[in-house]
Amino acid sequence: MRKVLGRIVGVASVLMLSANMATAEGKLSLYNWGDYINPEIIDQFSKENGVEVTLDTYSTNEEMLARIQAGASGYDLVWPSVHMHDIMQQLGLLQAAHPNQMPGWDNIDKAAMRSHEDPNGDYCLPYAWGAVGILYNKKMIPELKSWNQFFEYAKANPGKVTMLDDLRETLGVGLIMTGATVNSRNPEEITKAENFIMEQKPNIGAFRYDVIPLVTSGDIAAGHYYVGGVLNTLQNPDLLGFVIPEEGATMYQEDVCLLANAPNPDNAKLFMQFLLRPEIAAKNSERLTNGVVNTAAVDLLPDALKSNPSINPSPEVRAKLQIFEDLGKDLRLYTRAWDRIKAN
Amino acid sequence: MLKGLKEGKLWSILFNGYGLLFLTFLYMPLGLIVLYSFNSNPINMAVWTGFTLDWYATIFGGASVEGTFDAAFTESPERIFEVVKNSFLVAIFAASISTIIGTATAVALARYKFAGKRFYQALLILPMLVPDIVLGIALLIFFVGAGFELSLLTIIIGHVTFLSSYVFIVVSTRMAGMDTTLEQASADLGAGPLTTFWRVTLPQIMPGVIGGFLLGFIISLDDVVITYFIAGVGSQTLPLFILAMMRRGLRPQITALAVLILIFSFVVATIGLLLRNRKP
Amino acid sequence: MIAGDTISTRKKRALFLLLMPITLVLGIFFLIPLGIMITYSFLEPGLYGGVEWNWYPYNYGRILGWPLNDYEEFEPIYLAIFLNSLKIAGLTVLFSLLICYPAAFWVSRMSPRRKNFVLFLITLPFFANLLIRIYAWLLLLRPTGFINSLLQGVGLIDQPLDMLFSNFAVIVGMVYIFTPFMFLPIYANVEKLDYSLVRASQDLGAGPVQTFLRVILPLTAPGIIGGSIIVFIPALGNFIVPAFLGGSKVQMTGNLIERSFLQSRDWPFGAALALLIMGSVVLLLVIQFARASRRESRGAA
Repeated sequence: MRKVLGRIVGVASVLMLSANMATAEGKLSLYNWGDYINPEIIDQFSKENGVEVTLDTYSTNEEMLARIQAGASGYDLVWPSVHMHDIMQQLGLLQAAHPNQMPGWDNIDKAAMRSHEDPNGDYCLPYAWGAVGILYNKKMIPELKSWNQFFEYAKANPGKVTMLDDLRETLGVGLIMTGATVNSRNPEEITKAENFIMEQKPNIGAFRYDVIPLVTSGDIAAGHYYVGGVLNTLQNPDLLGFVIPEEGATMYQEDVCLLANAPNPDNAKLFMQFLLRPEIAAKNSERLTNGVVNTAAVDLLPDALKSNPSINPSPEVRAKLQIFEDLGKDLRLYTRAWDRIKAN
Repeated sequence: MLKGLKEGKLWSILFNGYGLLFLTFLYMPLGLIVLYSFNSNPINMAVWTGFTLDWYATIFGGASVEGTFDAAFTESPERIFEVVKNSFLVAIFAASISTIIGTATAVALARYKFAGKRFYQALLILPMLVPDIVLGIALLIFFVGAGFELSLLTIIIGHVTFLSSYVFIVVSTRMAGMDTTLEQASADLGAGPLTTFWRVTLPQIMPGVIGGFLLGFIISLDDVVITYFIAGVGSQTLPLFILAMMRRGLRPQITALAVLILIFSFVVATIGLLLRNRKP
Repeated sequence: MIAGDTISTRKKRALFLLLMPITLVLGIFFLIPLGIMITYSFLEPGLYGGVEWNWYPYNYGRILGWPLNDYEEFEPIYLAIFLNSLKIAGLTVLFSLLICYPAAFWVSRMSPRRKNFVLFLITLPFFANLLIRIYAWLLLLRPTGFINSLLQGVGLIDQPLDMLFSNFAVIVGMVYIFTPFMFLPIYANVEKLDYSLVRASQDLGAGPVQTFLRVILPLTAPGIIGGSIIVFIPALGNFIVPAFLGGSKVQMTGNLIERSFLQSRDWPFGAALALLIMGSVVLLLVIQFARASRRESRGAA
């Protein structure tokens, strides 16, 4: 039933798009995370609509915010994480694109409506989500299940694990391990988390993002990493594993948002409609190996992805995932803790 | 006499041996890059699984590597070429302009006495002192405020602000304590300052000027941080592109690209050398 | 008299023309942005990056201990990180100098044709992208990397050496990427070294060490100083090498500044840190210049 529905919606959106084609000439500028969109779908969009698409990339939300806030203009669509979506909407940097009135909107998983500022989808379109877990080398650790095991291994083999060079992610693990929420504003809880990470620091080889080659080669045994690493575990299932730790983990979600000063808002909306097509969403997800927000697209995915417990976790596991919220001025508590961890 | 000769020979053996070590140090990482660009292992470059030209093929738009889940997020070849072209355009213009400005400044400071010389010396060090990220954001705020449209031009301007200082230092080093008798003789013989500069000063400081240009070119070609902030939509340069891709580890395509750029530089420089050697 | 005047006006005009481009470029595209950052360092951080237009000198207090308000705390770690950066940058200068100085002599003694070629060989590796060159060192230094495999293969070591993610790796990486920065100024200087002075010293019976210390070293000092300055400064503010080869466990002030802008959204604090570093280095240079010029004037007298 769903499948049929999805197809009808898909056909309908194709028709809509072709109706819009006449107005869709010109350009579209995307500002996205590195490696966070399948280039094939950009090509396809570009060919279908005769639109010249440019794609620039960033690697942290703050990096993107800093440029947009300082006044860099010319971009149409950005991919902020949910808490950054809230911030940008509050700062007036976004305009309403009304994805909720576009064909195919009903396929969007209601659980993906995570923004506080935009609960109904007037502004942004949910894009993808994922857990942040551990990527590990099965030859060195046959099966990894928990943070506890991760830190035990590190204790026995100092320098053989890495964590992310991101203050909220890594302190977030500290908060989870000391029994607090990752959005805690309580200075005592944050100090506890700081002490926890500080204790582990001598055993942690490095704080870094690009751990895939190091885990693959066995230079390190395990690394704190995003679910995107599943792509590599699927290619090399005997060597690599990815796990969402038992104690819980953080998660992220990005939304596609239209910038207030976008030069090509019409093409941007057209692109959002394009992303809403189940087959496009599925094609994109195959590359991202992230959680899918388009329920109609899930059915179109290869089984290896559909059944993967990290990409498509069970409800019990989902319940243990926490998403970051904006902390406003209290972010300072984390910054100080992180500066101390890094310096000592 | 004999002793001197022997010593000279010993010295030249020592120097050549050292030179060889020096080149090994410079080329070891490079050799690794070249090697990896031919390794067919798509997942881990450091484990040799066989010779391949696939990575070069993907750059030129050849078929991507087999498999349901393509490890290599290949950007389109057009995009890669555009990015490389942007980088070279910026580097050539920024290094040339900086070489002219930096050399002029070095000549002024070395050959003229004037009030405010100290001021200029200090001023020229400052741009190198500002951390990249601070200069990048400050320039972005300035450009936006002044109504510049962010583009390759703003990147070139941004690079010139700090590259001029580097060129200035290299050329000044060359000029420090340089013999000025030739210049004086030229002036005494009635040559104008411009003629003296072209015919006498410039040939003497040429190694410094070339060194300054090369340094400027290399720095411009590598700059990530400042460029990131002042690049406009679609005016991405190679380092930005690579940085964005490196988040998930270095891809073999990127090493292939680096090797191609090296070959390109090698060819251009060799042609330049041959032409220069033919001239006299 | 009249002729003298024209020469001096001509000279003035030439000087004006020579200095105009740098004055314009730095005046407009450097001093104004710098002014913006100085202003920012005295403003209150905006909640989401940027600034609030309120007078707020406490950004400096966090680093120096004064002035402070109820909200800002003094953290001595910032000064400690700065000292560590000074150390790493200083060692980088020292090692690149040791490596490049003899190499400059090696090249300068060649025939012109060979010289051009070798000079080109030396700069060529730096056309490969910086990030890739740093990455190559990661591959060389890591536990299963080239150097460890080689040493293990030869039988010199049993266990792989822990070279990666340390101060050592950061310094090696920086020496590598800054080689042309040191080499080119030294070479530009060594190349015009007047060997007749060296011979004169030898003829006067000076030993090799004495000749080196009394003649060669002073004559090549401008190159050494120039090279040291352009290696030291970017090394001090570098954050890419510590991030990659130091595994982000080695902290330099550059990392701190980067984080202030790109992770903790505290622009004024980043600006204040940057200005303090700049201030201290300018101070160092001023002292150095003052000393040098005093020595010069004494030498002249």
